[in-house]
Amino acid sequence: MRFKLLSCEVFYREMCASIARSPHQVDVEFVSKGLHDLGGRAMRKALQEKIDGVSGSYDAILLGYALCGNGLGGIEARGLPLVIARAHDCIGLLMGSRERYAEFFEANPGTYFRSTGWLERGKTVHQLPAGTNAGNASLDDLIERYGEENGRYLFEEFTRYQQQYRHLTYIESGLEADSSFEQEARSEASARGWEFSKIRGSLTLFQQLVNGEWPEKDFLVIPPGGRIAASHDGHIVRLEPLERRGD
Amino acid sequence: MADLAQLRDAIINGNAKAAAAVVDAAIAEGAEPMALIHGYMIPAMDEVGRRFECEEYFVPELLLSARAMKAALAPLRPLLTSSGVPPAGKVLIGTVKGDLHDIGKNLVSSLLEGGGFEVVDLGSDVSPRKFVEAAQSTGADIIALSALLTVTMPSMKYTIEALKEVGLRDKVKVIIGGAPVTQQYADQIGADGYSENATLAVALARRLMSGARQATA
Repeated sequence: MRFKLLSCEVFYREMCASIARSPHQVDVEFVSKGLHDLGGRAMRKALQEKIDGVSGSYDAILLGYALCGNGLGGIEARGLPLVIARAHDCIGLLMGSRERYAEFFEANPGTYFRSTGWLERGKTVHQLPAGTNAGNASLDDLIERYGEENGRYLFEEFTRYQQQYRHLTYIESGLEADSSFEQEARSEASARGWEFSKIRGSLTLFQQLVNGEWPEKDFLVIPPGGRIAASHDGHIVRLEPLERRGD
Repeated sequence: MADLAQLRDAIINGNAKAAAAVVDAAIAEGAEPMALIHGYMIPAMDEVGRRFECEEYFVPELLLSARAMKAALAPLRPLLTSSGVPPAGKVLIGTVKGDLHDIGKNLVSSLLEGGGFEVVDLGSDVSPRKFVEAAQSTGADIIALSALLTVTMPSMKYTIEALKEVGLRDKVKVIIGGAPVTQQYADQIGADGYSENATLAVALARRLMSGARQATA
């Protein structure tokens, strides 16, 4: 079989390793992590354009994404089926199961995560949607744009949530060439005054995705004429038929 | 004479100090608080909302204007209380359990205060039980729930269920918001309202309050 994989670049190493071992031909296009920072609606639009732009003869388009803050909700399958793993976000994929992620999340509130992708491809996640990227601006940028007093106020507003985090967990893929990623994550934790921990991730979901092994329990296949919707239950995503009438 | 046009401009431009200074001067000259609020401050926030809707303003500008509005309201509050003007309503607000992202919640909180609501901010990572206890102790009219993660969104549903369990559900309105939240989800969990952004949240709260007043009238 022949698949087109559109994947967030945050999974660069995990996907490349999995593709190398796939029995199928997988053409991959990595998409900027910046898409995530655009917020749901803009992310959906940009990704749909990528999907609609896929040309060539493929059996399916694989999505190297999770529900991602509902950024994938509403994505439509047009000419080809779409395949997506059932996960809330990249952390669920990197951990290899949404159940494991849910348990970890419950037991370890206030945890920041790092992986190779998160370390080498931009560390920040924005809380703010498109056009408001001041959420990631430095204090100096904000002061320059909004003046001393207002700039300081905004910086405080945009960074306050970080003070509520207490742990940094590095998700090790097992593909790392040496300990440099882990060391970087450790230094970051210590610089922020957070407790560091490391857990072993899993390549299972990545491998199954590119191998064409899509058990219904862990994957959703959207046939042409359907769209992805958040299910707001343990399945995370569900298939929604497109309305016949134009909407 | 205090230059009241400056009050409007100070709020639109997010200049908290200037806004408060004009209000102080106007009070000293015996200005009527409601005339300042309805004549200059609310129209200024309406203009801010309009600019936000058409993407001339973004979250930073909104935060600064809301802050200026709060600064202008602060010296007026004691006068309003002493003259018996009630707040637009009492809102309990918080980010749901497990979620530490608070920018959106803080923005809605500021805009609601600017809109004349009394706001009790429970912070982030607020459990359903904490919402229920606060609703009981404050007698809030509206509970506003925020979530940034789909992982934590179910806490919205659990909070509504917890309100039902103690017989409070019919006594408060529940509104929800946050980047991954949708109207469809609000319908699914039986929330009274959803707003896709902070400025519309104020309009939603006002609408729910006027509906509640009509229902009890």
